[in-house]
Amino acid sequence: MIRALIFVDNRLASRIALRYACRLAKQTGMDLQTIHIEDTEHGDTPPGTGWVKSTWEKGLLVSAGAEISQLINELKPTCPTLRKPKMCVGARETEILRELEHTPYDLFIEGGLFSFNKSGFLGRFGTKLYREISCPILVVKNVGDIKKAVILIEDTTDLWSLIPRFFRTLEGADLELDILHVKLQKPGRLSFKEGAEAMKTSSVEDVDKIIISAKQMLGETGWSPQKTRVIRDAPAGIVDSLQEYGLVVSCLSRQTARKSSMLELLSHVPSAVLVCWQ
Amino acid sequence: MRILVAVDRNPYSANSVEVVAKLAANTWANVTILGVLSKGHSQSSSPVSSQEWNMEHPLPKALQDYQKTFLSHFKEEECPYTQRDFGYELVERRKGVWEELYVAKSARKNLRARIRMGNPAKEILAEAQEEEMDLIVIGCDHSSGCEWEGLGGIPQKVVNDATCSVLVAKEEKTVNRIVCCLDHDLVSQQSLEMINQLVTLHNAKLEIVGLTEGDELKIEVERKMDAILQYYTTRGLEPLIEIVELSSLDAFISQEAKWGLMALWMGKKSILEKVFPRRKVSKLIQGSESSVLILR
Repeated sequence: MIRALIFVDNRLASRIALRYACRLAKQTGMDLQTIHIEDTEHGDTPPGTGWVKSTWEKGLLVSAGAEISQLINELKPTCPTLRKPKMCVGARETEILRELEHTPYDLFIEGGLFSFNKSGFLGRFGTKLYREISCPILVVKNVGDIKKAVILIEDTTDLWSLIPRFFRTLEGADLELDILHVKLQKPGRLSFKEGAEAMKTSSVEDVDKIIISAKQMLGETGWSPQKTRVIRDAPAGIVDSLQEYGLVVSCLSRQTARKSSMLELLSHVPSAVLVCWQ
Repeated sequence: MRILVAVDRNPYSANSVEVVAKLAANTWANVTILGVLSKGHSQSSSPVSSQEWNMEHPLPKALQDYQKTFLSHFKEEECPYTQRDFGYELVERRKGVWEELYVAKSARKNLRARIRMGNPAKEILAEAQEEEMDLIVIGCDHSSGCEWEGLGGIPQKVVNDATCSVLVAKEEKTVNRIVCCLDHDLVSQQSLEMINQLVTLHNAKLEIVGLTEGDELKIEVERKMDAILQYYTTRGLEPLIEIVELSSLDAFISQEAKWGLMALWMGKKSILEKVFPRRKVSKLIQGSESSVLILR
């Protein structure tokens, strides 16, 4: 069974992430471990040390715990694999990383509201947490319908980093799956290609190779993509083709993630984004 | 619910009537189709005075056609606007004086056609005010910058001065997405329901926009948005949520207005009223390729 760790607090983004995770768990049977951290790095400073500090921390957890538990209890009847939260006080990123090191999780989930200003989403991928996390990351921007998913691949995508993890994470999910081979361009050089026409004008071998390989690897795991398409456009232009999907899956390189066009494309996606590292 | 659809004899008005008919099919609203004879500003005929016009004027004929179009959206046996029974009824003719009259009864809902004479914007607003309308629907010619009966600025004036909600219906685009910018404090049940109806009517996707002054929404705004999200989710819609900083609102609205119907909550105390003033609303209505709904 897949084990996922979800960060929860009292914000809307967390509520959305929890609802989405529960929908996903309904399809996959995924085990959902929640974690709440009273962030001392960005929140209040502890008053003193020793006993004073520990009493203050306990107080923080009690008041936060009531609200978080209420949220979990609301969802629990329809989401039996949702577990009680692990609660701690400390620096959010450090505590999450510590939990991920201590317990082997297959997926980290957190909410991140879809914003017109993309810097918040882009900034996540520069944080210590995202840079050091070893499992795939699911950033839930909206709840949406999880009926259709799309795998985004580029010429440089390492399918061995992507497909087995995708399969492992979403094994058993009842999803209609498409593959989109994106050829990302700088804004202003706009063109849209689909099917055979794309084959003629882009590098035929690459397109053939990567899509065929992806289909083959997916086929071996029991998935059969409904549609395969090639789109050549700027990230903002491609995003319209992604509106219908409740889940967008892709792969990023740790070294170049922050400057990559793929990350920019993912920042425009309004639904949930599953990122695997390569 | 009471809907006023303001019409002239242009194709965009026929489209407005279609939109209202579809809305009314779901809501069974009381509907008034209002034609305005403009004194001295008629597009195709010479200035008209109240003594000069009669039933031969093209506008009454157009109103009759619009009524037929409207009613064609209902099956005869189910139509709530059909006059069914005739009978005697005591009617107060003037204060303290009653008279038994042979009247048509039991149309469950009203469909009225009215003509007023004067300045179109003023007459539309006066009718809406006098009859306590909940929604005004008005079309306009998008190709000429949202002109109405050959005049500029009429839908804009109606939108800015109305005390009720106003839908400026543009005819040429299919509505795939309805983008709602929330007034965080004053979201009425009626506004939510109106959006619900429009989403159903157009089979469109719904996007709820939360406005923020900094990086994050305020907790109370988030709670309001969560309540709205759940309101629509329980009704089978799956709205998207998007956060927009107030400083980016102009850019956001001009970008989104290309793709979908913009719905702006603009109550008197609305945050939008402050950051998106009348001239910007007018500009949006003039320039938008899609319909615009101002909710109050």
